[in-house]
Amino acid sequence: MNDSAATMNQGPVATPQATTSAGAPKLTVRDLHFYYNGFHALKGINMDIPEKKVTAIIGPSGCGKSTLLRIFNRIYAIYPKLEAKGEIVLDGENILDPRYSMNRLRSKVGMVFQKPVPFPMTIFENVAYGIRHHEKLSKTDMTIRVEQALRSAALWDEVKDKLKQNALGLSGGQQQRLCIARAIALKPEVLLLDEPTSALDPIATGRIEQLVEELKNEFTIVIVTHNMQQAARCSDQTAFMYMGELIEFSGTEKIFTKPGKKQTEDYITGRFG
Amino acid sequence: MSAQPGTIASSAIIQEQRSRRDALDERLFRWLLMGCALLVLASLLGAAGATLWGGREAFAKFGWHFLVSTAWDPGNDVYGALVPVYGTIATSLIALLIAVPVSFGIALYLSEVAPPWLRTPVSSAIELLAGIPSIIYGMWGLFIFAPFFADHIKPWLTNNLGDKPDDGKLSWVVQHVPFIGKLFGSDYPFGASILVAGIVLAIMIIPFISSVMREVFQTVPTRLKESAYALGSSTWEVSWDIVLPYTRSAVIGGIFLGLGRALGETMAVTFVLGNAMTLSASLLDPGTSIAATIANQFSEASGLQKSSLMALAFLLFVVTFIVLLIARLMLRQLKLKEGR
Repeated sequence: MNDSAATMNQGPVATPQATTSAGAPKLTVRDLHFYYNGFHALKGINMDIPEKKVTAIIGPSGCGKSTLLRIFNRIYAIYPKLEAKGEIVLDGENILDPRYSMNRLRSKVGMVFQKPVPFPMTIFENVAYGIRHHEKLSKTDMTIRVEQALRSAALWDEVKDKLKQNALGLSGGQQQRLCIARAIALKPEVLLLDEPTSALDPIATGRIEQLVEELKNEFTIVIVTHNMQQAARCSDQTAFMYMGELIEFSGTEKIFTKPGKKQTEDYITGRFG
Repeated sequence: MSAQPGTIASSAIIQEQRSRRDALDERLFRWLLMGCALLVLASLLGAAGATLWGGREAFAKFGWHFLVSTAWDPGNDVYGALVPVYGTIATSLIALLIAVPVSFGIALYLSEVAPPWLRTPVSSAIELLAGIPSIIYGMWGLFIFAPFFADHIKPWLTNNLGDKPDDGKLSWVVQHVPFIGKLFGSDYPFGASILVAGIVLAIMIIPFISSVMREVFQTVPTRLKESAYALGSSTWEVSWDIVLPYTRSAVIGGIFLGLGRALGETMAVTFVLGNAMTLSASLLDPGTSIAATIANQFSEASGLQKSSLMALAFLLFVVTFIVLLIARLMLRQLKLKEGR
């Protein structure tokens, strides 16, 4: 496993992290704080997310893992009274800078949510919708792009004959893969998955995990999950968070076999959380 | 503490009686509910039937001519429904044209944009507006809005968009856009007109439509909106592409609720419509509506005139029914397009 990228966080006191991995990190989080109506939800997070790898974030409910994920594409900004301080550097630019265009950010960073949420439109339109916002494509090009996205999401064979049907008629697992297709249709660089299988049955979950394995050749993937087996199965790096702090961040194998912190060990062995 | 066979036996009997009574109650309850539902149907059919029966003389005398005739002459006892039917439909359409976009804006603002502290007061204000009796809107329209309209808005409209400007010179718009001159041409000096009635009606139905819209917009799942935002959509795109399609049938329902109210509105319209039994293409000329005609004439009518008013009332039923039918067809059409 890729242990060379392993780094350890020193706790709430912010210390700039050294990157030991060979490749430059895709996303660098520096001293990130987050406030919900004044509640201090993230306390000085520092981490380097490597390119074209799967990074899992685990931790008990309320530890701030989804909050962290929702900062990577600034989706939190649609609500009032939420505030992020610090830096998240994507390809050398701080995405938390208000001057960083939201449009550009959302075309570079795609997101898939907990529950499958197809738009109230046809299957084709669900995928075409996002593309249309960012690019003007001819009808033929659009058809090609939609097919590509559906193929990458391993959904094409199941839906190719019913592209004109409403997406709500698909099964839960299919809907979630449609949401993944919708996100990757924009050709993002980073893909955020917020507990993407928590509403799915084991078979559909297996297919999504398999898909994640394939997609990491093209995208940098960050996945938040409740399910430790899932993190162990499909990630290269795992971050363990607790009470708004990043406790430990290193290679997945290391986290699950020789965790460096007592809290991490207690959590993965099921002693709390 | 000891087992008492007698008690057990008697409790079995009690249980038996109880379940029999429950079954009876259940049956009665069902009948009662069905009665309530049938009452609605009965009153609808009764009202439609009564007006049709009351209007039979007029229908028999004038036949289909009643629908297309603009005559309303109690002196010669000749009646036609076209002027009031046209007035009803025209005022209601104008009201919808104004009220739907405004309500959409209000509802979107309240559900998507407004800061939380502003939502409650504005929503309550809308509900209060919905509760104002129509006579007050009528009075406001007659004493305040119609004169204001006649002094400040109407001259601009007739001079710039109408074919009867004060100085006799047609504006560029009138020369180049067909029909618009007719719509806004008028030499009637007062404010009361189809357009003013439409505007007053719009103000009356905005609270209805916007509160229905606001309520259904709030039912759109957050995660649905978030996924659209995550693809880069703006607030407008999320509203138009996601929120509106998701709530479409309820929104159309709300619009038709407002339209239903506009079609039947009596007091406010009677005050500001001018009550003229003449058909004019101009929106700035006075007209009349079905409800206003009935309200104005019922007390003195008798014989054929009374029967004609009844026939008018029946036509209002028909118009409302057709409107509801169109709404249903629209919904079905939209569902087909959506691929459901």
